[in-house]
Amino acid sequence: MAPDPQAVIELAGVGKTYVSGAVQTPVLFDISFKIMPGEFIAIVGGSGSGKTTLLNLMGLLDRPTAGELYVQGRPVQDLEEVDRAVVRRDRIGFIFQFHYLLPEFTVIENALMPSRMRGARWERQHLPRMTSLLDTVGLADKLKSRPSQLSGGQQQRVAVVRALANEPALVLADEPTGNLDSKSGRIVFELMRKLARETGTAFVMVTHDDNFALETDRVIRIRDGRILADMPSARG
Amino acid sequence: MRLTYFTTSVALRHLRYGVGQSLLTIGVVAISVLLIIYLQTIIGGLQTRLIRNTTGAIPHVTLESPERAPLAAWKLPAADPQVLYVGETVNLPKAQERIEDWRLWIEAFDAPEADYTAVSPVVAGTAFMFRGARRQTVRIQGVIPERHNGIVDIETNLESGRFLQLASGEVAMGRKLARDFGVKLRDKLRLVGPQGQTLSVTVGGIFETGFGPVDDGVLFMTLRDGQSLLGYGTAVSTIGLKLANIYEADTRAADLAPRVPFKVRSWIGDNPNLFRNLQSQSQTSNLILVMAVIAAGFGIASILIMSVTGKYREIGILKAMGATPQEIQTIFVIEGFLLAILGCIVGVPLSIGLLQALASISRVGPDGRATQIFEIAIDPALLVTASMIAIVTGAIAAYFPARRAGSVDPMQVIRGA
Repeated sequence: MAPDPQAVIELAGVGKTYVSGAVQTPVLFDISFKIMPGEFIAIVGGSGSGKTTLLNLMGLLDRPTAGELYVQGRPVQDLEEVDRAVVRRDRIGFIFQFHYLLPEFTVIENALMPSRMRGARWERQHLPRMTSLLDTVGLADKLKSRPSQLSGGQQQRVAVVRALANEPALVLADEPTGNLDSKSGRIVFELMRKLARETGTAFVMVTHDDNFALETDRVIRIRDGRILADMPSARG
Repeated sequence: MRLTYFTTSVALRHLRYGVGQSLLTIGVVAISVLLIIYLQTIIGGLQTRLIRNTTGAIPHVTLESPERAPLAAWKLPAADPQVLYVGETVNLPKAQERIEDWRLWIEAFDAPEADYTAVSPVVAGTAFMFRGARRQTVRIQGVIPERHNGIVDIETNLESGRFLQLASGEVAMGRKLARDFGVKLRDKLRLVGPQGQTLSVTVGGIFETGFGPVDDGVLFMTLRDGQSLLGYGTAVSTIGLKLANIYEADTRAADLAPRVPFKVRSWIGDNPNLFRNLQSQSQTSNLILVMAVIAAGFGIASILIMSVTGKYREIGILKAMGATPQEIQTIFVIEGFLLAILGCIVGVPLSIGLLQALASISRVGPDGRATQIFEIAIDPALLVTASMIAIVTGAIAAYFPARRAGSVDPMQVIRGA
């Protein structure tokens, strides 16, 4: 079946088996779904269910061993490493459980780092938008601060803004609130939901927290490497 | 390797942020550069001085007639009417070492393609020098002054009188010899050659070259005077050749030997121990240099390895965000390069300063003259070479940590969080 060019990302029968010597460990089986622009999706599942592996496959950090993977209608699983890096840089934003901001750079420089990878012109071009995004998340007065001068919640908000630097089609967030207190976690979550609505960027969030999951547009439940349910969220 | 805004700005920021580490590495590189320049200059200077002291007053290559075996009695010139009887003894004329056709050879050696900086025919021997009741054995060198001044520079080391314009009947001698023998400029001397020839001469020049053997016991005179005093007729005893590159002496001598009917000697062959010592000194200094370069390399490599290890997560995240392995490698190679270049920028002026300070140290000798303790000539080529060595070492040292950084797996970083 032809891929949907409208879909931000599309998985068709994707499977992943880790091979270590003679031992084969299948982790994901026959995963198929597509994500449309502006969707805010939660992937939930227990430990070892395969949700992080799924996120790594979607983020082109890992390669599937079966099935097809398309980013904006383009097959990507067989791309060279350098080309995969370029797709990640230009189309996909990442938010991790830990913020991983670069301590040598200021808040605004960190937020613009993905643009800086594309070149000085891109950085200049994205500067006003990123400044206003940082303003939106309440960090207008922290632009020149170092990450070490921010609280954990503030750092994670910078990381969320950074994920949007190159105006990606898709943002992948791996337990983005997992390392924050409930108040900061709530702020970061609301921010992602707001940005998904306003920017048209699809957000996919892996989470343990059912409360957050239920507030997204769509929840994909995974168990033992298979999709248990893929349905609109009750409250979303 | 691709220099981009991203790679250079991240590399520069790493160096600026870890300023303590950066300064430490720059210091290590600077010291290595200093060591290279210092050792090469000091040891090079010592060698230059040693070589100059050894070869400054002698030809680099000397041609002399091969020693001739005494003639057999029956080959004596037919003009001799004597009849020899069995059991009779006869004094054969002493076979003299002489070069009769020296003018032809001088012409050949003077040709530009022969590539000699000086060519000097010399008639040498010993004679007695008399003044009043005093008598002393001296070495006589009959020379063409303007030619011989290319072998040992007497003209510029004259204390009084002249050398280049030395006239027939005049001699030039070292200050020490003149003082020891109690003569001064324009004093008269009588010389008696080995075969009893006598020559009255005037002291026409007194010099001090700084070369003991020349200053202590040699009388220079014109070639013609020397020939008549030593009984050489129109012949000379040796032809001295000076080379632009003294280290070529052995090869040039070996090259010349089969093409001339003379015995060919080089200063290297005459001073084998000196040459061996110089070589082993060079080897030792080279060994120290290699150690210095390795130390600088390890310095840069260890700082960068620490940096890569410390930034393991950041590198993983940068890769996850789309930095290519090549870009990550480039960042660390730039860091290595910059550390090496900054090390050179510090090390080179430091070396020049140190060498200039050493050059200003002098010692007053017993003769009241101040001499430099260290022979120092700062060679710009050496400064460039030392810097290049440091920079190449920096790049090589940076390569391995950089490759490691480039191969960081972002998934492991994220998973290991």
